[in-house]
Amino acid sequence: MNGFSRLLAVLLLTLAAGHPAWSADAANGKRVYLADGCFACHGRAGQGGAMNYPAPPLAQTKLPLAVFRIILRTGPKDMPAYAENVLPDQDVADIHAFLLSLPGRRPTQDMPLLNQ
Amino acid sequence: MSSKPDDLAGAGRRNFLKGVTATGAAALTPVLVAQAQTPQTAPAARTVALPNTAVETLPPPAEPVNQTSSGGDFMVDVLKTLDIDYLAMNCASSFRGLHEAVVNYAMNVKPEILTCPHEEIAVSMAQGYAKIEGKPMAVICHGTVGLQHASMGLYNAWCDRVPIYMMIGNIIEADKRGTAPEWAHSAIDPGGMVRDFVKWDDQPASLQHFAESAVRAYKVAMTAPMGPVLLSLDAELQENPISDRDHLRIPKYAPVVPPVGDSGAIAELAKLLVTAQNPVLICDRMARSASGMARLVELAEALQCAVVDLGGRMNFPSRHPLNQTFRRPAVVAQADVILAIEVNDLWGSINSFNDRIVRVNRPLYKPGTKIITLGSRDLYIKSNTQDFQRFNEVDLAIAGDGEGSLPALTEQVRRLLSAERKAALDARGRKLGEAHLALRESAKSDATIGWDASPISTARMCAELYAQIKDEDWSLVGTGININWPRRLWKMDQPHHWNGGSGGFGQGYNAPAAAGAALANKRHGRISVTIQSDGDLMYVPGTLWTAAHHRIPILYVMLNNRAYHQEYMYLQAMAARHGRGIANAHVGTTLTNPNIDFATVARGFGVYAEGPITDPKDLAVALKRAVAVVKRGEPALVDVVTDPR
Ligand code: HEC
Ligand SMILES: Cc1ncc(C[n+]2csc(CCOP(=O)(O)OP(=O)(O)O)c2C)c(N)n1
Ligand SMILES: [Mg+2]
Repeated sequence: MNGFSRLLAVLLLTLAAGHPAWSADAANGKRVYLADGCFACHGRAGQGGAMNYPAPPLAQTKLPLAVFRIILRTGPKDMPAYAENVLPDQDVADIHAFLLSLPGRRPTQDMPLLNQ
Repeated sequence: MSSKPDDLAGAGRRNFLKGVTATGAAALTPVLVAQAQTPQTAPAARTVALPNTAVETLPPPAEPVNQTSSGGDFMVDVLKTLDIDYLAMNCASSFRGLHEAVVNYAMNVKPEILTCPHEEIAVSMAQGYAKIEGKPMAVICHGTVGLQHASMGLYNAWCDRVPIYMMIGNIIEADKRGTAPEWAHSAIDPGGMVRDFVKWDDQPASLQHFAESAVRAYKVAMTAPMGPVLLSLDAELQENPISDRDHLRIPKYAPVVPPVGDSGAIAELAKLLVTAQNPVLICDRMARSASGMARLVELAEALQCAVVDLGGRMNFPSRHPLNQTFRRPAVVAQADVILAIEVNDLWGSINSFNDRIVRVNRPLYKPGTKIITLGSRDLYIKSNTQDFQRFNEVDLAIAGDGEGSLPALTEQVRRLLSAERKAALDARGRKLGEAHLALRESAKSDATIGWDASPISTARMCAELYAQIKDEDWSLVGTGININWPRRLWKMDQPHHWNGGSGGFGQGYNAPAAAGAALANKRHGRISVTIQSDGDLMYVPGTLWTAAHHRIPILYVMLNNRAYHQEYMYLQAMAARHGRGIANAHVGTTLTNPNIDFATVARGFGVYAEGPITDPKDLAVALKRAVAVVKRGEPALVDVVTDPR
């Protein structure tokens, strides 16, 4: 988590606590993640990428949904800000669920290509 | 007007028959003879009084058709004194005089001609070449039209501070222009088309003038801050005979010794650096020779401080414990002294910005941080193009060549270091080393995400590529936009392991610049590789033919994301801002339907090719075969279908 996200996390601690639980659909999340272009900067496997600034990996994100949503609505640095009419809260929750369903990182010790 | 024998507009031009032979006149037809006998309709240079005997007996000597000397030959003599190995060109009649002199007088040796199917390829090859070889390549192209094709390459080289020895042909005198194209390809001031982004240009009016301007041009190009220069060569000057070669003198070239920063200022800087809690060295186009990196390592190790390498050159070893490049915001935030060495975009490297409706900028550094610049950037600036970047206030600006000034600075730093201070700095260095190791671990961990995915992740592609070259003497001579995996994952610690980017962010640089760099690497027996994005190659695909034709050993590994992906992302940002969704962001920004089969394209140009590869498991063998081709001395291309970045 970078500084921006951390700040939001603190601000939203109480907000998030009061939020109703989302029932999220990871399959729809994948569809939206691809259709709404998150993959363009963050990679299809959530591996991260770059525009002018590095776009962090998102697979197995540790950000709570409430913080995650605020980030999408704000769009830090050169990430687009996604308004509710373009990306409804339900889709945001679905993307979040999709990212949590991705395999994410692996241990690197036994990967010769990463230890050369 | 001077009346020197070779003067462009003077008597020499009118009397150029002095150096000609009339042997070819025997073949003249009566029609031509009749024309020759009508001096009032003939061009000025042809108004020659013919001996009466010749008029009376056929065939007459009429117009001269052969000559035993040429301005072009002399120009070759001059270029030879400048130790120029290559002349990249797209052929054109406005420089046929020099062209012919190179192939028949110089026998295509020093300079050797590189045949390029586009002028932009020629210039960009020269840019990549100079950054490996440390000296310019010559480029020549057609007046007006060729120069306009070349101009973007010149702009990149200008922004990248790279010497290019650029020449064009021109027909200066109106009455010497014959055909319609000759008029269209002539200009009264062709240099004006590119003057905003060349350091110096001239249009010599005589061969002596050429000799002096040619040496001056070389000197200007090679003096910090380096940059492209342009000579416009009159066609008649190239083509016509020389009346008196013995009177022409080629001045000798003595390189300008790079300026070292003022000793008082260097001493002050050393004091600031030694007493600082967290000094940071930021460098961009610093290492201009094989010594640059070693010098920066010495300074950094003396100070045990953070180094941020912006990557304009191979400045600092990727795995050096003090390398904090990928923690730039964090180290800049902690810094109390920042030394920027040959950094053009200082503002961009110590501020952040949000791409919002209202653009909000924020310094990454804390108030009171001392900012010092060292470099040649302040010594030369032009007005029109804005590549000088945003103005950043500094506390001390030292004019001097960065690489050249480092030894004096390091010496001063060492002199100021007490044993006690050294111990403190060592502790700082150890901490930075730990942070560096953590960076490397996170790079490796990041690279595992999507490891087996298709389209192939750029991390996997880069890791596979490194495995195939790491035991060779390799040189990475290009990469895709913001593709940092090599610097994050590879051990890059030789001066030729990297040679920087385009400078002006002008697309169509990477493919030819990589070929030019590979040509320079060839004589060292190095394996050159480049990560080649699809959009960039589509500007200049003919580069592949040049690489095949000249047997340039280079491996193109396609980062084929089937898009102008940078622009796809920008369009997405616009659509999101306007609340309209991104469903149409692919229009005008993607390279699909049909997908480009780069392997077939490459084969069509005579280049060995593999792909398209969509399964990462197929990468290793394909890369291995391609590397074998490159080791044989030829180009190869592996088309990898990748995820966007
Ligand atoms: C045009 C590029 C781009 C697109 C498209 C994009 N992002 Fe981002 N994203 C970024 C960048 C750059 C950052 C890092 C910003 C920073 O450094 O503060 C980021 C940061 C984030 C973060 C914060 C991650 C962290 O750990 O701090 C999240 C979450 C995120 N993006 C989710 C998304 C989702 C979901 C989408 C699609 C709806 C999306 N992004 C689309 C570029 C993009
Ligand atoms: C001469 C020129 N034209 C257009 C652009 C705008 N531009 C910047 S990046 C880019 C896309 C390049 O595509 P590619 O090389 O495939 O890299 P990708 O963004 O896909 O990683 C374009 C068109 C430019 N920088 N230079
Ligand atoms: Mg592309």
